[in-house]
Amino acid sequence: MARRSLIAAVVATAVVTALVSVSVTRLTGQSARPARAADGKPNISGVWQVNNEANWDLQGHDARPGAVTQRGIYPYAYAEVAGAPVLALGAAAIVPGSIGVVQGDKQIPYTAAAAAKKTENAAHWVDRDPELKCYLPGIPRATYMPYPFQIVQSTNKIQMIYTFSNAARTIHLDNVAGPPDDAWMGHSVGRWDGDTLVVDVTHFNDKTWLDRAGNFHSDALHVVERFTPISPDALRYEVTIEDPKVFTHPWTIAMPIYRRLEPDVQLLDFPCIDFTEEFMYGHLRKQQLVKHWEGDTIAVDIRRKVPPGEQLFDWYGK
Amino acid sequence: MRKRLLQALGVIAVILAVIALLRVAPAGSATQSAGKTAWGDPDLQGIWTDEYQTPLQRPAKYANKEAFTDEERAELDRQRAGILRRDQRVEIGSERDVAGAYNAVFQSIKHTGKRTSLIVDPPDGRLPALTPEAKQRADTDRQFRLALLQATQTCKDGDAACAGGKYGPPSPRRAEVPPFYNTGRLNRSDGPEDRSMTERCMAAVLPDFGGYRRIVQAPGTVSIFYDVGQGQGWQRIITLEQVAHPPSSIHQRFGDSRGHWEGNTLVVDVTNFSPKSDFLGARENLHLVERWTRTDAKTLEYAVTIEDTTTWTKPWTVKQEMSRQDEQANRIYYEPRCHEGNYGLPALLSGTRSEEADFAAGKGPDPATKDSATDFGTEGGVDALTGGG
Repeated sequence: MARRSLIAAVVATAVVTALVSVSVTRLTGQSARPARAADGKPNISGVWQVNNEANWDLQGHDARPGAVTQRGIYPYAYAEVAGAPVLALGAAAIVPGSIGVVQGDKQIPYTAAAAAKKTENAAHWVDRDPELKCYLPGIPRATYMPYPFQIVQSTNKIQMIYTFSNAARTIHLDNVAGPPDDAWMGHSVGRWDGDTLVVDVTHFNDKTWLDRAGNFHSDALHVVERFTPISPDALRYEVTIEDPKVFTHPWTIAMPIYRRLEPDVQLLDFPCIDFTEEFMYGHLRKQQLVKHWEGDTIAVDIRRKVPPGEQLFDWYGK
Repeated sequence: MRKRLLQALGVIAVILAVIALLRVAPAGSATQSAGKTAWGDPDLQGIWTDEYQTPLQRPAKYANKEAFTDEERAELDRQRAGILRRDQRVEIGSERDVAGAYNAVFQSIKHTGKRTSLIVDPPDGRLPALTPEAKQRADTDRQFRLALLQATQTCKDGDAACAGGKYGPPSPRRAEVPPFYNTGRLNRSDGPEDRSMTERCMAAVLPDFGGYRRIVQAPGTVSIFYDVGQGQGWQRIITLEQVAHPPSSIHQRFGDSRGHWEGNTLVVDVTNFSPKSDFLGARENLHLVERWTRTDAKTLEYAVTIEDTTTWTKPWTVKQEMSRQDEQANRIYYEPRCHEGNYGLPALLSGTRSEEADFAAGKGPDPATKDSATDFGTEGGVDALTGGG
């Protein structure tokens, strides 16, 4: 009798284990995607993307009529109108609002001089943001740009590959020394702290930004990222940002990163070196196409012919 | 009877459970056998490069010779070392002198490789014949390039770079749009599109036979970062899980890579190339089948069969052996920042605008008489002996 119970118990346990394992495999999608990698660490391989407005501004902000605005009829910032570079795009140019991803008191602790520079950066966004020139995005910005990125998780290395500009970085879990120079993407050394991937990033230059709002750093930047699975298809991404030349103390941002669940998802070309040539060099053409110089001013021609029969213009006249 | 059924079911369930556990969580028990990843795939990871100089095509003088002996390689290296041309200068300040600025000091001179050509098929080590349409394309492209060169000293002197062209006044064709999307250096700088992909920081192409590559694997994915030199590089993702390529309306500069394991070999099928990428004249119709095999701890064999029925009359195959590179020594090799520091391209454009203004004001030569497209033809450098360059 005892023997029979034991057999029954073993059978029941085994059946349950088998069923659970099979169903976990089924539920997680296209092909088997175990929750753990072969070395027992959380399996974070795959295509991921944030779903937020952090790249517009890490801090909480209201929606704006465009990435570039200019004074309307009122003197208030909240009553500005879309500026010429984006006006032609209508509502497609609107910048969405956000509650912000800065933790704690929601403030970025700039020194007084750095705060002034941030304000100036924001005012000259089109000329200064390295994203517009298709420069390497740096860390942490690469993570929360609004495009998918892929994690290729091996045992000693984790490769993170970003859609934007085909940028990439290798996270060394085997403690490779940093490069003998600074870098746009920094030098990433990772370790697993329980189920959290902790990445210590150093060796930055001072050329990348943190968002499109002019938030910036110096070459003293030190970033510590923490990637923690909160479900099979979501990670918590927490970043501590330290830079004694720019900030009075370290500060933290946090956001979820979501798995792209389309069975056929893949990173596709984002050839922005090619696509930004007109933006960067258009005024140097022999025959100018879209932009040209007038003295020390860049002029971008956004005049366009409206096709006949467009109701809006028929109604409202010209 | 019921008990036996129960026992049988139990055995099956236990086996299933063990298999499932082994698949899902072999934590701690993962023993990484030599040449395999922790999850059991062949391990191709590391930094790799071909350390030897081997020309793509076999030079005519080695027509019936597939491989060099060790003695021949040593002798070729001895001869090549004698002609490094570190100090070679021509008329100081001339265009020709400037073109030689990248002398041997700036170049990686590799030891002579085992084989006389990278091409192993066709067996003569030569590229197969172009199709008639590819010949026509190449000729149309060449005629346009020669027209843009025809007022230069290069053509006046009859340099190799002007072969098939003539010397004369600036051609009216200088005002034409190139016959095909340009990827090489035109002798014109009307806009960025006239300059080469190298000058535009987009030089990389697939297949790639030089440079360094870092391979990182995960179950279902092989990633390769290619460092192709000149501060340029790109990140490739090979998907192993899904066999089907995207529809042909999707174009990728480096194609779309789908792989699978055949024993210890990673076999990758690459299609969906872009009309903006050019590999020896092949563009969106390029089709590659690559075979990556770790043959020993320090060697990765790479073979690729290259096919484009609109370009070559038959497929051809290249094979090379890459050697594992030291991680510490190569830690600088993975940030392509050519574009971020590309002062050359705007300088080429704005310099040409200045020359045009000077010429218009009667203060300088017609920019059309200057050569910014060729290095005046090769005169046989260090790799002339092995046929490369």
